[in-house]
Amino acid sequence: MVLSSAARCYLFVLLLSFGGPRVAWAQEVVRFTINGTVRGARGETLPGASVAVPALGTGTAADSLGRYSLNLPAGRHQLLVAFVGYQQVTRDINLTRNQRLSFALEESGNELGEVVVEGSVSLEQKLKTTQMGVEHLSIREAKLLPALFGEVDILKTLQLKPGVQSGGEGTSGLFVRGGSSDQNLVLIDNALVYNPNHLFGLFSVFNSDAVQSVDLYKSGFPAQFGGRLSSVVDVKMREGDRQHYVATGGVGLISSRLTYEGPINKGKGSFIVSGRRTYFDIFTRALNEANKNKEDYSPIPDYYFYDFNAKANYTLGEKDQIFLTGYLGRDTFGFNSPGGFNFDFSWGNTIGTLRWNHTFSPKLFVNTSVSVSDYKYNLTNRLDQFSFGLGSSITDYSARTDFEYTPDDRHVLKAGAQLTQHRFGVGRLEANSGDGRINFGSDVSYTGTDAALYASDNYKASDKLQLEGGLRLTGFRSGSDQYGGLEPRASARYSLSERTSLKASYALMYQYVHLVTNSGASLPTDIWYPSRLSVKPQRSQQTSAGVSFLLGRGKYLLTNEAYYKWGQNQVDFRDGAQLFVNPELDSEFIFGKSWSYGNEVYLEKKTGKTTGWIGYTLAWSWRNFQPQRGTNGVNNGEDFHPNYDRRHNLTVVALHQLNARINLTASFIYTSGSLTTLPLGRFGLQDIPGSRTGIDPRPVPIYPNRNSYQLIPYHRLDLGVVYKIGSRLNQDLTLSIYNAYNRRNAYFVFFEAVRDETTDRTTGFQAKQVSLFPIIPSLTYNFRF
Amino acid sequence: MSIRSKIVGWVVAVSAGAALAGCDSLENNIDVPLPSYSSELVVECYLEPGKVPSLTVTTTVPYLSPALPQLPDDVTVNLTLPDGTIVPLAFKPNYEVLLDTVSGIKFHTHIGRDALVARPGDVFKLEVTDSKGHRVTGTTTMLPPVPIDSLEYKFNDKTGVEREAYFLTNFRDPPTLNDCYRLQLHQGDPAKGALRREPEVDNSFEDRLLNGKPFVVGTSYRFDTGDTITATLYHTDAAFYRFRESVRDARNANGNPFAQPSAIYSTVQGGVGIFSVLSYTRATKIVL
Repeated sequence: MVLSSAARCYLFVLLLSFGGPRVAWAQEVVRFTINGTVRGARGETLPGASVAVPALGTGTAADSLGRYSLNLPAGRHQLLVAFVGYQQVTRDINLTRNQRLSFALEESGNELGEVVVEGSVSLEQKLKTTQMGVEHLSIREAKLLPALFGEVDILKTLQLKPGVQSGGEGTSGLFVRGGSSDQNLVLIDNALVYNPNHLFGLFSVFNSDAVQSVDLYKSGFPAQFGGRLSSVVDVKMREGDRQHYVATGGVGLISSRLTYEGPINKGKGSFIVSGRRTYFDIFTRALNEANKNKEDYSPIPDYYFYDFNAKANYTLGEKDQIFLTGYLGRDTFGFNSPGGFNFDFSWGNTIGTLRWNHTFSPKLFVNTSVSVSDYKYNLTNRLDQFSFGLGSSITDYSARTDFEYTPDDRHVLKAGAQLTQHRFGVGRLEANSGDGRINFGSDVSYTGTDAALYASDNYKASDKLQLEGGLRLTGFRSGSDQYGGLEPRASARYSLSERTSLKASYALMYQYVHLVTNSGASLPTDIWYPSRLSVKPQRSQQTSAGVSFLLGRGKYLLTNEAYYKWGQNQVDFRDGAQLFVNPELDSEFIFGKSWSYGNEVYLEKKTGKTTGWIGYTLAWSWRNFQPQRGTNGVNNGEDFHPNYDRRHNLTVVALHQLNARINLTASFIYTSGSLTTLPLGRFGLQDIPGSRTGIDPRPVPIYPNRNSYQLIPYHRLDLGVVYKIGSRLNQDLTLSIYNAYNRRNAYFVFFEAVRDETTDRTTGFQAKQVSLFPIIPSLTYNFRF
Repeated sequence: MSIRSKIVGWVVAVSAGAALAGCDSLENNIDVPLPSYSSELVVECYLEPGKVPSLTVTTTVPYLSPALPQLPDDVTVNLTLPDGTIVPLAFKPNYEVLLDTVSGIKFHTHIGRDALVARPGDVFKLEVTDSKGHRVTGTTTMLPPVPIDSLEYKFNDKTGVEREAYFLTNFRDPPTLNDCYRLQLHQGDPAKGALRREPEVDNSFEDRLLNGKPFVVGTSYRFDTGDTITATLYHTDAAFYRFRESVRDARNANGNPFAQPSAIYSTVQGGVGIFSVLSYTRATKIVL
C-alpha cells in the first residue's frame, strides 16, 4: 500500500515522539511513580478524574477504568484530586519510592446545606488535552435535564452537543459532522452495540440507572478505536456500590426502572443489576378492549420494550481485577387482526463482556477482554396451519487487549490488538404449513473477520506542546475477499498561554460493515452487510483545528473547532432495491462520495450553582452518487445534501441548583429545518382492467430531486425541575416539560388530495405538515434506598 | 399491510396520545412553493388477446396543479404487430366513462379497430409521438399463461357473523427465471361485471426465492358463505413487476416519513408509463 502524504507526515511525527527527544530529557533527577485508582465513595470508578500536582504544573487524568499514574521527582508534593460533581481532595505525600495511592471522593450534593465545589479542573483538562472533538457526559448531568416522556436518554443528551444532529423529532439517532447514523461506533464496556435504539429510534437502549458516563469522539479518534467513520460513543456502565446494598428505581410516564447493587465480599468487588420495562401495551390493550365493538376501529398493536443490565467486578489481588458485563434488550410488537392474520415482531441486542485488568507495574497496565454482541430481529406471521418467518441477525465474537505504558511524565504509550469474528445473518425466510404442502426456507449468511493492531503515544514535548500520534493497521476478510488499510491518527495541542490552547487533528477511518437500509430512519429491519464482492470498505478522513480559551477565572471554557471531512465508497441503494433475503444483495448497492465541513463554537461551564453550555454549529454536508449499475445514481448524479444536513444549530443548556432540594433545568435547541424529498410532478394511472375503479386514481408522485425541500426551522424549549424529598434526599420527583411552548415542529410534509364531498372527485391537492410531539409534561418518581 | 405501515401507524398512535396533552391538531395545511416542472407524456397500454387494442395518453403535471387530467389531442399512436404490420390507434376518447363510476370500464384516449391476435412469444412495439417532439416507444412480449392448479377455502372455528373463510390459490411456477405474477381475487358474479370492479385482493410477487416451485397464495379470514370468488393470475415479466413496485413505493413515500422516495421504473422509453400484453388464467369458486 502506498502511504499518503498525510500518513508520511504522521509517521515523521510518530518517530519523533517515540525516539529522538527523549535523550534530551534524560536528566539525573530521581523520579518515582505514584499510581492507583480514583473512585467515588460508593466505589464507582471516575474516568477522567484529575490527579494533579499544582506546584509542579503537572497532572494526569484517570483512564476509563479510573486508573491514574504519575511520574514525579522524589520529595514532598501536594496532590489535588478532583472530578466534577464530587468534592475535591488534597493529599500531602512524601515520595521516596514507587507508591500506590487510591482515592475515594465524596459526591457533592448529598447533604442538606452542602457547599458546591468551585473549581475548574475538568475544563483545564479539556484545555490541555490533545484530544479534540470529545464530549464527556456524566449520567448525573443527563439525569437532571428534561426528557421526552421523562425518559432520561444519554444519546438524546449528546444531540445537544455541537456537531451532533438528530435524525428527526424525538429520535436517538446521532448524525455526527455529516456522517450517517450507521457510521457511529457505539460501545458499552468495550462491546459493540449494533442497534442502540428502542422503538424505531425514539429511545436509546441505555438505561440511565445502569450507565456511569459516556464519551463521544467526533474527531481526532484515538488509535484504539476503529471500524466506523464518524464518531465513537463509548458508554461505561456503573460498577455498583462497593459499600452498601442499595435499591434505586423510578416510576415514569411510560416505563419503570429498578436497580439493585451492592458489595461482593465487601471491599473486594461489587455488582449491579438493573431492569427497565415500558407499559404502552397495558394502555393500548385497554383501549382496544374498550373499542372492540366499534366497526371502524382499528386495534392498536401491542408494543413494549425492556432491557436488563448486569455487571460485576471483583478484585483478585492488588494487581488484578475482573469485570463481567451483560446486556439484554428486546422490543416486542404484536398484532392480531380481526381477519385472523397475526404477526409478532421482536428485535434486540444481547451483549456480554468479560474483562481482566492487570497491573504489571505502576507504569504498565493491560486490559484484556472477550465479548459477544448479537443483534437480531424476527418477524413471524401465522394463519391457521400456515406460518411465515423472516429474520436477520449479526453476531460478533471479539477479543482485544490494550496495553498502557507510562515510562515517564512525558509519554503515555498505548498499544493493542483486536480480533472480531462476525456472523452476518443477512436474511432468513421460512414458510411452512401444517399439511407439509409448504416447506420452504432460505438463508443468506456470511462470515467475516476483522483484525486490528494499533499503537499510539501521547508525548508531552514541552509545557506548551503536546502531541499524540497513532497508527492503526486494520484488515477484513469475508470469504475470499479481503481488504486492509493503515489508519494514521494525529493530534497536537499548543498552549499559547495558561488559558489558551491551539489544537489540530487528523484521522483516517475505514468501515468494513455496512447498514443496509432504504429508509431515512433507524428501523429494526435494517441489515448489516460485510465488505465483499463489489462492496468495498467505506473510508473517510477528517482534519480539524481549533482554539480553546479558559475564561472567567477558569469557570468557562470557550472552544472553536473547524473541520473538514471527506469520504469515499459511501453506500446507498438503488431505488426499489430488494433488501430482504437477497443472495445477490451486493448488486443493490450504489457507491458515492461525501464531504462535510463546518465550524463549532462551544462555551461550557461545569462548576458552580449554575452549569451548562451553549453550542453553535454552522455546517454543510454533501453527497454525490454518479449514474452507475443501470441507475441514474442519486439525484441524477448531481451533488445533494443528506436529509440530516443542517446549516445552523444552536443549543443552550442550563442547570441551576436553587438549593439542596431543587434543581432547575432548561434546554433550548434551534436548527435549520431538515431536508426532505417532495414530489414535483404527478401522473394518473388507471391500472389493468379489473383493478381499482374510477377515473380518479391515486396520483403517482414523481420525485426528480433528492432532499430539495427544506422544512421549517426546528426549535424547542424543554424545562425541568428535580425536587429531592426525604430526610436523606434519597428520593426525587422529576418534572419534565418537553416542548414547553408547544411549538409545532415539522416531522414531515405530504400532499393530500382535496375531494369534493358531493362527487367524491379530487379537486386539488393540499400540502400538509405533520408534527409529532406537542407540549408533553411528565412526572417521574425516583428513589434510592 | 406492510410492517412499515404498521410502524407508521403505531407512531401516529403514540403521537395522537401525546396530542391529548397538546390539545390541538398535529396536522396543518401549509403552502409549499414547488419549483417549475416540465411535463412528459404518460402512456398506459395493456394489450389483451381478443380485445381491441387501446391506450391512454396523458401528461405528467405539476403536483399542486388543478386535478383535471391533461389529455393531449396532438398525439399519434402506432402499434406494430408481431408480423411487422403497423396499426394506427385513433384518438377517440371514451369520455362517457368519466361519468360512470359503476361499470369499471377503463378510460382510453386512443383505440384500434380490430381485435388483437396474440400468442405467447409474440413481440409488439409501440410508438407514441406528439407535435411538440415528444416520442415514447416500448416493446413487449406476450408470456405464456400459467395455469391455476386449484382454489380452496377454509372456515375459522367461529360462529355467526364471525364465521369467515380464508382462500388459497395454488399454482406452480415454471422453471424459467424471473417470472412475476399478479393475483387478483374478485368477489361477486362475473356475469354481472364483478371482474371489472375493485378486487378484494391484489398482490404482486416474483419467483426469486421459489423458482420452479409450487406457490400457495392465501388471504386472511375474510369471505362468507355464498361468496363467489374469481382468481385471475397474471403472468408478467420483471419489467411490469418493477414498474408496479416503483409506483407503489412512490405512492407510499408521500405521507410516510420512513420511506425513501422511489423513481418510477417505466417500461417505455422517452416518457413515463407501461406497455404490456396481459397473459392470464382465471378460475372461480363459490364459498359454501
